[in-house]
Amino acid sequence: MRENRGPWYLLTGFVLGAFLGLLYAWVVSPVEYVDTSPAAMRADFRDQYRALIASAYVANRDIARAQARLNLLSDRDVARTLAEQAQHTLADGGSPEVAQALALLALDLGQGPTPVVVAGSPTAVSTLAVPTAAVEAASPTAGVTQLPTETPQIPTNPVTAAAETSEPSPSLGAALQTPQATRTSLPTGAPLPTRTPTATSGAPIALEEKSFVCDPNLAEPMIQVVAENAAGDQISGIEVVVNWEGGENHFFTGIKSELGPGYADFTMTPGEVYSLRLAEGGEPVSELTAAECESGDGSRYWGSWLLLFAQGAE
Amino acid sequence: MSYFHWKKLTYISDLSPLIRWWLYGTITPVSRWIRFLIAVLLGGVLGLLYGWVVNPVKYVDTTPSSLRADYQADYVLMVAESYNQNRDLPLAARRLALLGESSPTEHVRQALIFGAQNGYADSDLELLSQLASDLQTWNPITGTGGS
Repeated sequence: MRENRGPWYLLTGFVLGAFLGLLYAWVVSPVEYVDTSPAAMRADFRDQYRALIASAYVANRDIARAQARLNLLSDRDVARTLAEQAQHTLADGGSPEVAQALALLALDLGQGPTPVVVAGSPTAVSTLAVPTAAVEAASPTAGVTQLPTETPQIPTNPVTAAAETSEPSPSLGAALQTPQATRTSLPTGAPLPTRTPTATSGAPIALEEKSFVCDPNLAEPMIQVVAENAAGDQISGIEVVVNWEGGENHFFTGIKSELGPGYADFTMTPGEVYSLRLAEGGEPVSELTAAECESGDGSRYWGSWLLLFAQGAE
Repeated sequence: MSYFHWKKLTYISDLSPLIRWWLYGTITPVSRWIRFLIAVLLGGVLGLLYGWVVNPVKYVDTTPSSLRADYQADYVLMVAESYNQNRDLPLAARRLALLGESSPTEHVRQALIFGAQNGYADSDLELLSQLASDLQTWNPITGTGGS
């Protein structure tokens, strides 16, 4: 017996097979996510993971371990990602401790050769040196916990995996440019200590200099803050509070580690009046507004405020 | 032509009568069912080929609870390191809760077992033990316990 019904039943079978396959894949035995890596986590979980790495780093100060853990997240620019998350944490009203931990880790990861202020002519601008990442690589040591790696094997050998990790230096954009004449308190041409300076206890940090800077290389009006300890070394982790009508922002020195461990800045909106103070106290610096500068050819551009806070300054 | 290609062509030519039969052969009620089943199988095979080779599953937007065992153990170790510094047990418990439905104590216990089996440093095992111990005496309702 021969029937002539055409090949449609083959197509029907094909579609039915595909349908059954999908039914099995989606309903009977759906995909279960197991044995995933931190890099595959949802963005908010990655943020929490990063914050936890920073908190653990504050506790153990093991930069190689922190670096190895951060590598698991596959962030393109680790230091910058940490710095941005620190800012977002503060902006979103998150824990200041977490923000500070993130900022500290960002700073320590981004710290290469310590930024140096290069002396120039009185009219020239000074430029901070571009640092490279100097992540300490721990040598394999017995008795050190091996951190998980991205290989599928479960670690069994108690040596650190962090030694094999290194991170490219953060790409650095603009260099901080300020008139040399206004930065008399900064050492010129002499390298600062490689260890991150911290504020010494006792004397409070207060405004030492307030100057208006005309730098055509700065595209936006900014408030630039530099904090120094009594020895003249820039200090990181100083919380700065900026207020304006209907708004407030917090940030820390050292977030833009490529511009100096004690540096922070804030972009002003033209027409807005700002006041700035350090979170730990002290007199606020008020009446900070965006103003224009004029170059030799008559063109106008935004100027910036440079505020130098120093320990022991009155 | 290499031996491999020659064998491959031979294999395909061996199949060609079957393909000819499948497409153009005499159709009887029995043979139609066989061809239908072959079509179903072919659809399934192509579906698997697409799902596993051409466009395999990419794991994105997962949660900490799906992390591999060594990542989970390291996560718990980070919580223990942080706890050792801030002594904030509720915060440690909240962080451990991200690892899934098991109790925080159970997560730490699993990490301790993993760490002991995989050569974690004594100092790290000590941190995990301390956290496990404090979690056991901690009452999340009253917030009492711990060290």
